[in-house]
Amino acid sequence: MISMKNIIKKYDGKEVLKDISVDFPEGKTSVILGPSGSGKSTLLRSIDLLVRPESGVLNFSDFSYNYAESLSKKDSMRIRQKTSMVFQNWNLFPNLTVLKNITEAPVNVLKMSQDEANKVARDLLDKVGLAEYEDRYPSQLSGGQQQRISICRALAMDPDYILLDEPTSALDPELETQVLKILEEMAKDGQSMIIVTHNMEFARLVSDKIVFIEDGEKVYDGATNDFFENPTPRIKDFLAGISLDPNKINK
Amino acid sequence: MWHIIITSLPEMLVAMVQYTIPLAIIAFIFGLILAVLTALIKFIEPSENKAIKYPWLVLRAIANFYVWVFRSTPLLVQLFIIFFGLPNIGVQLDPFIAAVIGFSLNTGAYASETIRSALLSVPQDQWDAAFTLGFSTKQTLMKIILPQAVRIALPPLSNSFISLVKDTSLASSITILEMFQVSQQITAKNFQPLLMYTLAAALYAIICSLLTWLQHYLEKRTSRYVKGSEA
Repeated sequence: MISMKNIIKKYDGKEVLKDISVDFPEGKTSVILGPSGSGKSTLLRSIDLLVRPESGVLNFSDFSYNYAESLSKKDSMRIRQKTSMVFQNWNLFPNLTVLKNITEAPVNVLKMSQDEANKVARDLLDKVGLAEYEDRYPSQLSGGQQQRISICRALAMDPDYILLDEPTSALDPELETQVLKILEEMAKDGQSMIIVTHNMEFARLVSDKIVFIEDGEKVYDGATNDFFENPTPRIKDFLAGISLDPNKINK
Repeated sequence: MWHIIITSLPEMLVAMVQYTIPLAIIAFIFGLILAVLTALIKFIEPSENKAIKYPWLVLRAIANFYVWVFRSTPLLVQLFIIFFGLPNIGVQLDPFIAAVIGFSLNTGAYASETIRSALLSVPQDQWDAAFTLGFSTKQTLMKIILPQAVRIALPPLSNSFISLVKDTSLASSITILEMFQVSQQITAKNFQPLLMYTLAAALYAIICSLLTWLQHYLEKRTSRYVKGSEA
């Protein structure tokens, strides 16, 4: 379980996360929703220390870290090995082949042998249907393929949690579906995931819990069914605002 | 005319091989090492640990001062200070050593900014991706950032190297018998300045053309991963 307590993050004196506390259960898929600029990506990035909140506590089952304290290398390594991030623009390393993109961290960080890392990487590539692309460079692949590879890269580190920051926002619908199917597969396998997304269909079908954030405050934190079946007026507004068909929400 | 060229060419080629080329290569290697160190000192933000932070900020101030001094003063004046000036405070240098020091420091100052801008041009996204995988700052630099920065720095660094080759002609003023100095000496005997200096110019052009070709080759090699490159 990842449990965040009283997270406060400021940019230039302005609070973008206002005392947020939230739990992300193990083996489940949690989705963070909210309008643009609500602080959802900031919250997600805080878990991986890409953003450092001013205060608050990050608890794992066996370890906790207080953001107000200075961060030792050991702690940051420990936290980053528990989590791995998948980015909106996938952020693959353009100078490395597909295989190297996936094996570079296991070899250099986990000190795995290159052979062993290759095997792990090939198994993962096989799962996402990209086995024959291992010698290509990222620029030779489509966005959907690159995102699938970046998911492999995250999985190769065998983290407890995969964090996904709008993983399909930069993809066209067909490529988006390819990626979402893989995430759905991972969810079924019991991979712990925390996803920031704008895809409501995916959130509704795949996630176990929803956290709705607006203006840096938590507005909803509960089961996915409840969120869509019994929305509060504000959530109704939000859902109506991103849908072309109002009847879809108010059924 | 051909007779003059053929009789003076060997002497000039010897000067080229003995001084011009070694001076350019040695100074470029030292300059590049200095440039990378200077660029990293200016580029990397020190950790919050005070034992590292303050010495780092001192180093950075030195790096800034160094780049400022060598970009703000003429190369010829720098060479004069090192070779003719330093003996006044008891530092007597061999002319070749003085030239290597001058050219290295000058090249290093310019190239450090080239390398720093190349480092800055690699997107923050790449750092984020490396950090989330658990890479340290050093690993991220060595494995991810520098290899990408090299590709970007290659054309402007080639500029620096080509300039350096031609600037070695300034070493003639601190008594080094490099190619241009030899052409002046031959001119003094045969009174053919147009021919001799054109010949010297042609020899510099040949070296620089070879370097341009080398640049294209290296660019191709380091751009294998870029879309649209022929790989």
